[in-house]
Amino acid sequence: MTLAETQALFHQAITGAEPVAADRIDACFAGTPEHPAADRVAIYANMYLWRLVEALRQTFPNLVRLLGDQTFAGLAEDYLRRHPSEHHDVGRVGRRLAAFLREHPDPERPDLADLAELEWARQEVFFAPPAPPAGAGILAGLDAGGLSRVRLLVSPALRVLVLDHAAAPLWRQLEDGEPPGPSMPGPAAVAVWRSGLEVFHASLPLDEAAALAGARSGDSLATTCDSFGGRADPATAAHAALSSWFQEGWLVGVGR
Amino acid sequence: MTSSRLDLGHGIGLRTTHFAQFMAERPPVDWVEAVTENFMAPGGRPVSVLEKVRAEVPVVLHGVSLAIGSVDPIPERYLAELAALVERVEPALVSDHLCWGTHRGQYLHDLLPLPYTEEALAHVASRVGQVQERLGRQLLLENPSSYVAFKDSTMTEWEFLAELARRSGCGILLDVNNVYVSARNFGFDPTQYLRGIPVDRVGYFHLAGHADKGKYLLDSHDHAVPAPVWALYREALRRFGRVPSLVEWDDAIPPLAEVVAESRRAAAVEAEVLGPSSRRLAS
Repeated sequence: MTLAETQALFHQAITGAEPVAADRIDACFAGTPEHPAADRVAIYANMYLWRLVEALRQTFPNLVRLLGDQTFAGLAEDYLRRHPSEHHDVGRVGRRLAAFLREHPDPERPDLADLAELEWARQEVFFAPPAPPAGAGILAGLDAGGLSRVRLLVSPALRVLVLDHAAAPLWRQLEDGEPPGPSMPGPAAVAVWRSGLEVFHASLPLDEAAALAGARSGDSLATTCDSFGGRADPATAAHAALSSWFQEGWLVGVGR
Repeated sequence: MTSSRLDLGHGIGLRTTHFAQFMAERPPVDWVEAVTENFMAPGGRPVSVLEKVRAEVPVVLHGVSLAIGSVDPIPERYLAELAALVERVEPALVSDHLCWGTHRGQYLHDLLPLPYTEEALAHVASRVGQVQERLGRQLLLENPSSYVAFKDSTMTEWEFLAELARRSGCGILLDVNNVYVSARNFGFDPTQYLRGIPVDRVGYFHLAGHADKGKYLLDSHDHAVPAPVWALYREALRRFGRVPSLVEWDDAIPPLAEVVAESRRAAAVEAEVLGPSSRRLAS
């Protein structure tokens, strides 16, 4: 066999993508009567699945708590068959789990995908590139015209999620070891960010989430503030939101 | 490509669970080994910790995903991130494993053994050359623990590794535990393996624990270095001389002090076999 053929067969046997006939295993791998080739190959197959499921457990600890170990393992195996790892960092194998759960919703817990999306975002921001936060003083020198045209630069370590269900309260219950409440239909917005070396998340009003998303995609400050047009006092709401963004370190500068 | 062996002393694997304690207590270890892929991300706690650690002790980068023996091309993304990390960390050494682990873009996240054939040797030697050229420095490759062998193999693992080092100029990270595990799993004499490895190519040793699964030994890294591995380490010291050692502990990780104690034990065994190091005599 060529090296390529050997690796293709070994891959097939390890992942279980397709069954491998016993005679093909015996033709490729050496075994002994006490420890046949198929049993030796099975060591790798078991470790393959165990390692990837373990990586998913580490990324989605509260999804594991919600579902229980066994149900989570079953879900993980279904997911891995469809989405094997494509990145050298095993920690990234769960990046499509939320989407997978949306494609295969659990009628009893329709919020599983939202919880997964929140947990994935927490991992993503932990490894996001560092960017020193900017203070509100960066706006101080601008006149009224400049202020309206300027663009806010949002931290790479901030994610804004708009979820179909309120996953943040569920995450908190699970994190605190409390019994999970029923799923709460949304939409519900959550900010997930890293400050220093710690990861935080907090619920957001939907208009504030839209303002942050717009700022990230290049909206001017004036357009960003317009997002609060539905409030009783839009100017005060926009000012309060901007102040808190600077305070939390969500903004890293301004662009023009 | 050649390099003289560095006098690093005795180190431990730097694991996430020990980050805070390591920085606070600065335990008596001469160097640390960091798993390359855990530090490739541009931000977050791991990178921040590594920046601090490298100011205190030498760091060796040890990869698990290069998949030097895979038929797949080495992904440019991986090579670029590795080169950037090497430039940033300036590690004392850069190592990975003699194995394969990707297939058509899919990562298996395992250190899978290769058939030891002339085709595989030419393939791996060429890829080592590619990596060394990209990094501008020597790569060291570690012998894996294995549970299967291939009917097509035409040479032993030690013959393959020795010839690979000769052809490509790579160094050898000799994992003493892996030699023992594979020797038990395939019934060869581990000292024969040691005798087949060229002395001047060995850059450092790995020491670790394994689990007895009845029909085979599993390279589990989940407990202290067992007596037979210490015995083989003594044999290795007699053959290779003073070689830096690294204690690995990756599962059921104990308190930092226990891992450090294993590393100090490696230093004590070395002193017993070879006499005190000149560094110790000078201090």
